[in-house]
Amino acid sequence: MDALLAKSLSKTYHARQGTVKALDNVDMVIRKGQLFGFLGRNGAGKTTFIKIAAGLLLPTFGSMELFGIDVLRQPREVRERIAIVPQEGKPFYHLTPREHIEEYLRVRGRAAEAAKSIADDLLQAMGLEAYSHIPAMLLSGGLQQRTLVAMVLATGADFLFLDEPTLGMDPFARRQVWDVIRRAGRNGSTVLITTHYLDEAEQLTEELAVIEGGHVLYKGSAESLKSKVRREVRLHFDRGFTSKELESFGEVYSERGGLTLMTTRVHAEELTRAALERGIAVNVGPVTLEEAFLTLVGKSIEEDEPGGAWA
Amino acid sequence: MTWRSQSNAVLRICWFNGFLGLMRSPLVFVALFLTPLSFLFFIYVLAPRAELPFGVVGGLLFSCLFTGSGMMNDCAYLRLERQMQQVIITSPLRPISWVLGMALSELVFTIPALVLFSIVLVLVVPISLLSFLALVGVIFLTWLLATSLGFLLSTFFRTLREIWPIGMVVFTTLSVLPPVFYPLGYIPGSFRWVAYIAPSTFASQLAARAAGLPAASVPASPLLSSATGELVGLVLLTALFIGVAMRFARWRDP
Repeated sequence: MDALLAKSLSKTYHARQGTVKALDNVDMVIRKGQLFGFLGRNGAGKTTFIKIAAGLLLPTFGSMELFGIDVLRQPREVRERIAIVPQEGKPFYHLTPREHIEEYLRVRGRAAEAAKSIADDLLQAMGLEAYSHIPAMLLSGGLQQRTLVAMVLATGADFLFLDEPTLGMDPFARRQVWDVIRRAGRNGSTVLITTHYLDEAEQLTEELAVIEGGHVLYKGSAESLKSKVRREVRLHFDRGFTSKELESFGEVYSERGGLTLMTTRVHAEELTRAALERGIAVNVGPVTLEEAFLTLVGKSIEEDEPGGAWA
Repeated sequence: MTWRSQSNAVLRICWFNGFLGLMRSPLVFVALFLTPLSFLFFIYVLAPRAELPFGVVGGLLFSCLFTGSGMMNDCAYLRLERQMQQVIITSPLRPISWVLGMALSELVFTIPALVLFSIVLVLVVPISLLSFLALVGVIFLTWLLATSLGFLLSTFFRTLREIWPIGMVVFTTLSVLPPVFYPLGYIPGSFRWVAYIAPSTFASQLAARAAGLPAASVPASPLLSSATGELVGLVLLTALFIGVAMRFARWRDP
């Protein structure tokens, strides 16, 4: 059985300023136990998708099932099996991280002993032990976010929706959270995670989808997305080449005061030689997921010129 | 989740949002006393001594009605600013348990004021145990009514900026303008029925009766201005508010 099955899912927002299609005929399947990533620009439709899947928003058209249960008709049954970290959610200002985890588990029906034991484990795993008795209002933004993620991951729900869970966290904290998310996956939870950190998506997810303007542009592994752009190498020149000179070799964009080119291995060798002959410094590396994402979404923007940005 | 688990969850919400909230923000404690005590002070200074009991009963009801304002503020804040309502209800917890837990936690904030005004009332008006229990019943219904209204309103806000003006208009109209702090008899006889547009008038008149305060010399109408009529009115309005809140409370955005 699939963990999530969306068919022809559409959502149109109506406002005084006009109408915006946040999701347009989206089909999506997420397998049980999978760590699945959702990538897309701000307003691409990721959060809208998650809100519909979690039963927090009604779609304009289409269907959504979680573990074979209709989210629209049987929201209560769905809620029994899910937990969500909302985008830019914040914990209760007066509760400590420990209280957040324990009280949320108790509200979800867990016994006091079990809640305490899970809280002990999670606080340690998420690096929150030292802050476990400090009210959230006195914690930094990153620690508050960790608290929120910890209370949701503590549930071990069958389906975890994590909407930008590591927003505002330092690189160490992000890695701690990744470990706990991976552990949730190993324990059988299906995880849908949205993120703007492409390294996070690459590290964490087994499969990902790129969404833009309410359409799914790509669904598959991070590796195959990188190969899909048919560029293997990235070159960065601080100076010495013009954009026009490089355009015929691949995609060029300005970066850090110079030019970055994504191209094939053959062209890379040719240009590296030319750069060395001219005495121009060149930085060579493999194409990253971020660049593959920029290429894929960039092409879509050029082709479609979609409308405004909606959550 | 079983009913027992749901009940436990309601008490947990009351504990962490009410008791822990109050213990860690003692200023809320002071804020909740301040307005009704100010009214009581002015009534004590400016009004004839005979009107003081109305001020005390008014303070009791005002505190109770303002649980609705607190409910509206907290629910809207937790949904819009902190998004904790979304976290809590995407769980086995029934949404009604969340609402009840929040309503109880708002009552926790109000209990100190209710206790204070009850003590003052006992000091200024000789009141029997039966009358006091009747008063508690009125306060219970008023709490249900106010928190249902507060929750219902909270679901319609799209930004936090809307809360303050709408809250002020609704809860001032409910608690200050109608005869909550003053006797119904102060309103000219032919206009007294207008006061009953506010549900709080039913509560205040019942509370005044329970406390043994004199009724208005000219009733608003024979039907309304009887204890039975007022009780039926308050119960019906409370049921209506609860029903509407449950029906239109938006767990899912359209």
